[in-house]
Amino acid sequence: MKRWWRAAARAKLLVYVAVVALLAAAPALLEPYTLNLVTLAYLMMAGAVGWNWMGGFVGQVSFGHAALFGVGGFVAAHVLSSSSLPSPVAWLVGGLAAGSFALGARPTLRLRGPYFTIASIGLGEASRLVFTYWDWFTGGASGLSLPLMRESKQELYFWGLGLAATAAAISMLIRRSALGLELLAIRADVDAAGDVGISAPSLQTRMLFLSGAVVGVSGGLYASFFGFIEPNDMFGFDRSVAFVLMAVIGGLGTVHGPALGAVVFVLVQQSLLASYPELYLGLYGSLLIAIILFEPLGLSGLGLRLGRRIDARWLEPRRAAATAARQAGSP
Amino acid sequence: MAQVFDLVLSAVLLAGLYAMMAYGLGLIYGVLRVVNLAHGGVIMCGAYLGWVLHERLGLDPYLALPLVMAVTFGFGVFLYRVLVCHLPRGAAGGPASLLLLFGVWLVLRNAAYLLFTANDQVIRTSYSTHSLPFFGTFLSVNRLAVLGLALVIPLALQLFLSRTYLGKAIRAVAQNADSCTLVGVDVERVYAITFGLGTALAGAAGLLSATLFSFNPAFGAGELLKSFVVVVLGGLGSVLGTSVAALILALVEVFAILVLPSYLTSAVGFVMLVLVLVLRPGGLFGRPVLG
Amino acid sequence: MTLLVARALTMRFMGLTALDGVDLELAAGEILGLIGPNGAGKTTLFSVIAGSLRPTSGEVRLDGTALGGLPAYRVVRAGVVRTHQIVRPFSNLSVRENVAVAAQHGARRAGDDPEERTERVLAFIGLEERARDMPAQLTLAGRKRLELARALATAPRVLLLDEVVAGLNPSEVLALAALIRRIRDEQGVSIVMTEHVMAAVMSLSDRVIVLDQGKIIATGTPREVVSEPRVISAYLGQVDGREQSATS
Repeated sequence: MKRWWRAAARAKLLVYVAVVALLAAAPALLEPYTLNLVTLAYLMMAGAVGWNWMGGFVGQVSFGHAALFGVGGFVAAHVLSSSSLPSPVAWLVGGLAAGSFALGARPTLRLRGPYFTIASIGLGEASRLVFTYWDWFTGGASGLSLPLMRESKQELYFWGLGLAATAAAISMLIRRSALGLELLAIRADVDAAGDVGISAPSLQTRMLFLSGAVVGVSGGLYASFFGFIEPNDMFGFDRSVAFVLMAVIGGLGTVHGPALGAVVFVLVQQSLLASYPELYLGLYGSLLIAIILFEPLGLSGLGLRLGRRIDARWLEPRRAAATAARQAGSP
Repeated sequence: MAQVFDLVLSAVLLAGLYAMMAYGLGLIYGVLRVVNLAHGGVIMCGAYLGWVLHERLGLDPYLALPLVMAVTFGFGVFLYRVLVCHLPRGAAGGPASLLLLFGVWLVLRNAAYLLFTANDQVIRTSYSTHSLPFFGTFLSVNRLAVLGLALVIPLALQLFLSRTYLGKAIRAVAQNADSCTLVGVDVERVYAITFGLGTALAGAAGLLSATLFSFNPAFGAGELLKSFVVVVLGGLGSVLGTSVAALILALVEVFAILVLPSYLTSAVGFVMLVLVLVLRPGGLFGRPVLG
Repeated sequence: MTLLVARALTMRFMGLTALDGVDLELAAGEILGLIGPNGAGKTTLFSVIAGSLRPTSGEVRLDGTALGGLPAYRVVRAGVVRTHQIVRPFSNLSVRENVAVAAQHGARRAGDDPEERTERVLAFIGLEERARDMPAQLTLAGRKRLELARALATAPRVLLLDEVVAGLNPSEVLALAALIRRIRDEQGVSIVMTEHVMAAVMSLSDRVIVLDQGKIIATGTPREVVSEPRVISAYLGQVDGREQSATS
């Protein structure tokens, strides 16, 4: 995996760092309400990007990731309430717990396409029911409060930014590495991939753990952010659906699409909840339908098309002209 | 002992309903290779349609059945012609068909919320509370009616598939769609009709379910998963297989109530689903749904 | 020295016996031809050896190590790789990426650098000019070469070629046949190839075995095998006019 060092050294990383630096300066400019919204967006970005590693990179669409979000959140909450360990440690523990819990779904990995999805719905819902019932862990239907708010919202802003940036960086590195290539091969033809030595089971297991862990960490931060979590919200089917929507809106399988989708989702959610709360399901449903039929890569796809059109209309003629000028100039 | 007998009876009656739900899903999957994630939504629509007809027009649900089936059939054909036909067929469809139909389900749910609010509803007729004596216990009239219809409708379906031209065309397309175009079968029309039949069965199952249990717009998720359990366990194309699988599921659920706290009994279906998929994807009878 | 040995391989699916006690031996550096009428079980035999199918009974050993029942990717990492009758390139990866993905594992086996291995294989097979193209942009001959390149990139000791020249025109067949010979001569890979194009099999193979209805009915040099009456009747039916059951 030495190649990822080389990938990291490329110019694109500079752009990336610049963006993060800009965002880090934001608290000085934004008012608390907006800041909180952006923080929430960061958490959802991390979750969507993490979800996309399974749904987009591996190609196994999960409608049960809320289980991992919930496990991460509640484990972190317990660590925070019952010990004086620093918050980041609690969040990491939540992430590891979620990742390990995700590994329990390993036998379902060999299911193809829709079967995996349906199994994930089953696992997600079963987890919700069991964990809601286990009221020591989740506080039952009434939820769990953290006794103290350890961080200020501003501190959480930076932690959220860090998490989202890390998740996005990991996404980029995976895609550019040999692992990314193997994942693409598995998506194209899992049997032919085996015939050239690629072990789909071990790669998929690794991604399952990673995906669960990142979603779990975002769950932990979510707990710290609100100071109160309840199982129907954390483990709910709507939460699982949200991850799917974010990734699909932004671009299933792309590197940064899900992050973009998460931002759109959070913004739309906020404005919808204000004006037309009773329409959000229908809106998302219609959006899904429209995306699948017209632009399967969502916003990323639209961006690519726009880029190609700009290239065709303005950049290509310039290139052609430059080549022609060079040829005319030489003897 | 009497309690066991009661439970087994409940299971048998419940199995009929599950089998009906499974047929709709299985038919669409068997022929189009598409998992209809909107299945739960259509079941919910069938329930509401029947309820509306009963509340507003006083129409008896069992008499309304053909009407509800006709409407949901039309809806299925519409869904196919407008949306589903654009998807790539088979494995290449992958997440696309799932997401598309899931989107449809979300829209249906929202429509139901807007039209009917989130409150629980149920279809209560004048004879809902009547029961008939049966070997020392009592069977509710509704459950018997549901069982009866759950036996009749699939039989009718079987006859349709084996005796009529259209039915044979559907079976042929399920086996080899390309060859069908070569012999002059209008495959797209067959797909549309099959999708409609699948949704019609789902609608019927929804209506019948509404006479037994309460429902609300979120209704259908559990039914979708249970239908899937029955389809995978029972295999495709086997009426016997589907019936046995439905019975197994119903028995497990009914007896689970004895052992588990009531809150967790709905988890039983979900757990069974995962177990079946992982341990016995080949099913018990009929054509295996997987591989 | 015997490299690959298969003993008493039997494969039964749902009442059909595709392979019935097949024995096969491949010597190091040998090109072994596997012929037989359609439906004889040639692709099934490959699938069993390569790990895509688990045999009902029997064993396969590479240089003494048992391969039976191992999943395909383990078999590849042990050194036995197959190509497919209908080529299966990764349609979402470029030519170079297709080879690179296989070279990862080959490099691990051979102890060299994956990128160098990729370039070397592309050059050897003659695809360097097309390295950036997507598989869909190649001709059939190009895609067959890609399939071959991918297999070669895994640093195999044994290469199983499944009807690799099928569907090519005569000049393409000649070119590919020359390439196959070079793979054996220059890369030291032992090869088992099934073919219907007799000219290719006969000119390339050191030895030939004939499969009919799951059983080996003849082995020997190409010339010996071709004149055996049992082989002729397997392909053409009974010589005295009674039709043998069609095996297609």
